[in-house]
Amino acid sequence: MIDEITLRRVLPRVFRGLENEEPVSRSEVWMRDAVTFRRPGSYIIEAESGTGKSSLCSFIYGARTDYDGEILFDGKPVSSFSIGKWCELRCRALAYLPQEMRLFPELTVMENIDVKNRLTGFRTPSRIREMLEMLELGARLDDRAGILSIGQQQRVAIVRALCQPFDFLLVDEPVSHLDARNNQAVASLIASEAAAQGAAIIATSVGNKLTLSDYQLLNL
Amino acid sequence: MPTHPLSRLLRRNISAGQIIGYALANLVGLTIVLTALQFYRDVTSATSGDDSFISSDYLIISKKVSGLGNFLGSDPSATRFTSADRDEISSQPWAAEVGEFTSADFNVAARVDFGGSPLTTALFLESIPDEFFDVSPRGWDYTPGSGKPLPIVISKDYLTLYNFGFATSRGMPQISEELIGSLPLRLSVSGGGKQEWIDARIVGFSSRLNTIAVPEEFMTWANREFADPASPRQSDPSRLIVRLRQAGDPAAMAFMAGHDYEVAGDKDAGGKAAYFLSLVTTIVVAVGVIISLLAFFILLLSIYLLLQKNRDKIHDLMLLGYTPGRVARYYHLLVAGVNALVLILAVSVMLVAGAGWQEALGSIGAESAPVWPTIAAGVAMMLVITAGNMIAISRSIRRNFRR
Repeated sequence: MIDEITLRRVLPRVFRGLENEEPVSRSEVWMRDAVTFRRPGSYIIEAESGTGKSSLCSFIYGARTDYDGEILFDGKPVSSFSIGKWCELRCRALAYLPQEMRLFPELTVMENIDVKNRLTGFRTPSRIREMLEMLELGARLDDRAGILSIGQQQRVAIVRALCQPFDFLLVDEPVSHLDARNNQAVASLIASEAAAQGAAIIATSVGNKLTLSDYQLLNL
Repeated sequence: MPTHPLSRLLRRNISAGQIIGYALANLVGLTIVLTALQFYRDVTSATSGDDSFISSDYLIISKKVSGLGNFLGSDPSATRFTSADRDEISSQPWAAEVGEFTSADFNVAARVDFGGSPLTTALFLESIPDEFFDVSPRGWDYTPGSGKPLPIVISKDYLTLYNFGFATSRGMPQISEELIGSLPLRLSVSGGGKQEWIDARIVGFSSRLNTIAVPEEFMTWANREFADPASPRQSDPSRLIVRLRQAGDPAAMAFMAGHDYEVAGDKDAGGKAAYFLSLVTTIVVAVGVIISLLAFFILLLSIYLLLQKNRDKIHDLMLLGYTPGRVARYYHLLVAGVNALVLILAVSVMLVAGAGWQEALGSIGAESAPVWPTIAAGVAMMLVITAGNMIAISRSIRRNFRR
């Protein structure tokens, strides 16, 4: 279980030496003494492209370590976590939707979700179907992910990310390819799942924001 | 149960050609190693047999009798081995065991009733420790006064000399080993003013010992009983028997030549053949091991290539929470499966080949050795190769965890 995530003077290595220049100097995340995300709660991190929002998600998710400063889960520095510990967190506490979705194009929609759900055993097949139907993908279960449109792939990846228990849900531009109606459907699914688990949502956005009702906005 | 989507993902980019190439190469290497090992073991298996073609080698050595020195009354102890000589030999790296020939300090004459007419001849007797015998006759012991006949082992050459030299030229009957064993012998043992008749029987023929050998128990007893009190017993032996660690070791031959020791051969040629065989086997096994090692690197390269091609997929699986171990398991099973198949095929080829040469070897006195040690060697080699592959796979996959 993770109750809070704290960033202490975190800065991507690519920004080294640019601490006093834009956009780092006015960032509400980079180089701050303590940026804390608590659950339950909703956070939207708004940024222009190229300011490192995907990097931020990767840092928190443990997929990249090319940053200065410290990230702490409940006060413990994540740099001390073993690979096994990370794998456990990714199955039980941290859910993540990467911006590039990272579906396996050669597998069907259902198989893509299965790859995750077999690992966690968290959802029943009927619940998975239900969620896909809510996002208007009920008819595409057996299609290969590679032939879906980007917007459809995005929604499959969201369902996949929800196939696990989580304390924090990191969604990197979850609605960048969705229309307003689908944005609404995704937002309400994510919000209800997060509420059910008492979890926090950390969403990034370059403009098209996830339509959450109540959130804290941070400018990256 | 439908295939796990994981295996459908991970088997992408597996090159059947590369895997088959590896399997064939490793099969050739492993087959060469196992076949050569089993051939060596089969050929050398008959060491305990009576007439082995190639046996662990024994040397019987004596000091050279030079010129007329001994006749002219010089010191006869010049041809005896002192305990310093013996220690020097046993401390050599090629010497596994050194035994002494104990000679008799009394007079022996043998009498045999042969076709009604008694034959009498003067004899000599020697004894050596039991472990140096190439034959293990039944009842090879002697208890003084028990009344049981004294067992005797004679050199096979003596029987041959009699049968094909003496008997044919004199018109005497030739005799077989079985017949001579059933002849009752009586030995007249005398010395130190005492004389006694002892029943004896020839129980075996040795191709290693060119002597007339009796059990050590008898020799100890008789030397004490019949020794001449006037001339104390000369305890240093004039002949030694040496068991070599490696048959036909050239270092041993060089040592003997260097010390002017004469080697009475237990099949000198056999020793050289054994040495040559072990040399050839070593070379062949080395070639097989090299082929297997190269195959190992082929598989390693193939796996690295595969993991490189599947790098993104593996990274994505890590992002989903798959442990490196879970991903590696798929490739571990693949490698273990291929290697097990190669091992089974190589062992089969070895067994078939072994059956093929069995008859030829049987005709020169070798019998088949158990195949289990050879199979165990194959399993051990394959385990090492598989473990090496698995470690390489695990390390490579763990590197994908972060980037």
